[in-house]
Amino acid sequence: MNRETTVLKIVILLLVSLTAHANDELTVYTVNYPLAYFAQRIGAEHVHTVYPAPPDIDPAFWQPDSADIAGFQQADLILLNGAGYAKWLDRASLPQRKLANTSVAFQHDTIRVEAAVTHQHGPGGEHSHAGTAFTTWLDFSQAVEQARAVKQALVKKRPQHAQAFTHNFRLLEQELVSLDEHVKNVVSRKPDMALLASHPVYQYLARRYKINLKSVLWEPDSIPDQAQWQALQHLLRTHQAKWMLWEGTPEPQSVKRLEAAGIGSLIFDPCANTPEAGDFISVMKRNIMELEKAYRD
Amino acid sequence: MISSFYIAWRYLAFNKVRSATLVACITLIAFLPMALQLLLDESQQLLQSRATSTPLLLGARGSALDLVMNSLYFDEQVPDVFTMQAAEDIMQSDLAYAIPLYVRFHARNSVIVGTTLDYFDFRGLQIAQGRMFAVLGEAVIGADVAEDYGLHPGDAIVSSPETLFDLAGVYPLKMAITGVLQRNHTSDDLAVFVDLKTAWVIEGLGHGHKDLTSTDDASVIMTRTEDSVTANAKLFQYTEVTEDNIDSFHFHGDLSAYPITAVLAVPDDVKSATLLRGRYLENPRYHIVRPKDVIAGLLENIFRIKSVIDSVIAIVGLATVMAIILVFALSVRLRQRELSTIFRLGCSRMTTVNLIVAEITLIVIASSIISAGLLYLVDANADTLVRQLVLR
Repeated sequence: MNRETTVLKIVILLLVSLTAHANDELTVYTVNYPLAYFAQRIGAEHVHTVYPAPPDIDPAFWQPDSADIAGFQQADLILLNGAGYAKWLDRASLPQRKLANTSVAFQHDTIRVEAAVTHQHGPGGEHSHAGTAFTTWLDFSQAVEQARAVKQALVKKRPQHAQAFTHNFRLLEQELVSLDEHVKNVVSRKPDMALLASHPVYQYLARRYKINLKSVLWEPDSIPDQAQWQALQHLLRTHQAKWMLWEGTPEPQSVKRLEAAGIGSLIFDPCANTPEAGDFISVMKRNIMELEKAYRD
Repeated sequence: MISSFYIAWRYLAFNKVRSATLVACITLIAFLPMALQLLLDESQQLLQSRATSTPLLLGARGSALDLVMNSLYFDEQVPDVFTMQAAEDIMQSDLAYAIPLYVRFHARNSVIVGTTLDYFDFRGLQIAQGRMFAVLGEAVIGADVAEDYGLHPGDAIVSSPETLFDLAGVYPLKMAITGVLQRNHTSDDLAVFVDLKTAWVIEGLGHGHKDLTSTDDASVIMTRTEDSVTANAKLFQYTEVTEDNIDSFHFHGDLSAYPITAVLAVPDDVKSATLLRGRYLENPRYHIVRPKDVIAGLLENIFRIKSVIDSVIAIVGLATVMAIILVFALSVRLRQRELSTIFRLGCSRMTTVNLIVAEITLIVIASSIISAGLLYLVDANADTLVRQLVLR
């Protein structure tokens, strides 16, 4: 990053900080979009939410520069996802007093991913999914707990607005519980049906809703090579799935080849980053509608 | 009278050694107790202000004084280490917030303080130049460190090995200086501050190296199985954290089991402080102390010693004054012929008295000027002197 961009970022951060303080707003930094959404819904006009990761990078593997970290350091509250999310936190210096781990309530119930292949997609650099599965919010009961942790963190910082935060949390909780019930109903139609996932990011979704799901390591924006097709064929011998979940819109060539093999494509966006249209709830509703396609047959 | 002073001055100038000895004796007798009082006042102020502003300190069971001196004044005596879990327990208690400290390593002659950013908020430390450290391997330095070694943001400072012959130890870590703190006239001016995780990298608990699963160099691999790869000692570990290798830095195991030397606990209120202290009363592994009490005990001992020193100085002073009287008495006897001549020249006996009084006055004035000068120097450097004589 060049010097001008860094200086510009610092100036913007200062302006954001000054504006927030002038209004007595709570400046909340988050490590992913779902937490930014929860903070904005619960905090409403009392918080200024900042989620600084670029839209084309998976925030779990994003590496912020010094200016971004300086922004986090200046925040009033930093919402962490927990479950080993955002590897950069291990190497960054953040004020512990401002950190709030939103997955503390279920920290002993996270999913371990034992062995995983190192791979690369987008500008985020090489990474592997070994360690702890981190798309915790795809289990909507866990999403409720994360939203509750956000509410508690906001109340601790601004107790004078506790009533408003609690009210807003209740509304969000109802919507998340409704999503939870909806997925349960959809999956209950064919509880044993096998599904495929293009990427290993749906562990909590599969566990919560008892989805018979197995993953390959494909990217929506690249066409699988011969070895990846062979790995899929090998998997299909024991896991006869008719549908594959994708994180984003897959390449038409991949869709065609899958269709030829009798596998339909569904888009289930984990929504870790800011969606191009809509918000977290609308994206999840769209995801459930997609999921219904598989369970409708 | 002026002529008496002139003759006295000429006499003192002629007997240089005698005059200088008398001036030195009176100077020491006047200077020593006042300088001692000055230094004690300064050390009391320095010790108490820092101790009073630090509510509670948690450490491994052992010497409370070592714990306080290491954590507040960065003394070289390192108390027993314990795990980061203790700091997390305090955070989770909701009674106080915890600032972990790992004060163990050195860079040049300055202590490296591994802590979190909360420390700077708590102590009200501001950045004078540059910025706060943001990632592993970065450091901010105190004003005196910057001044003594001519360091600025953009320079680097290297950690020192714990022992000179520690051949099997970890390599020193080259740390980038990102900022210089504003002078605040405390021990913080003398320290190099890093993130706790950087301190663990200095200790070798965190490190960066080539990815073993993708390395082409087979000679660094000791064993390779499906689940794990074990490297031998040939594997090069990075001695500096850079943009290119920062992603390779990692920590093995649970960070809550990593070592620290103290936890600075900042309770929400008096009730929380009392509850927190109560929790550690019977704890066999940790003790929680109020630095104010520990320093009060230390000062009590210092003042007890000071009163002994005062008595010694008083006796020595009395002996010196008597010696001076003796010197003048003998001097008058030795100068009997000179004084008789003055008397025969027609001067009154009072003139003789005037001459001796003028001599004594000149000696006392000279001693006062030198004492005042020395006291001014001590006062100007009291802070440094106390750090070197009392706190080190």
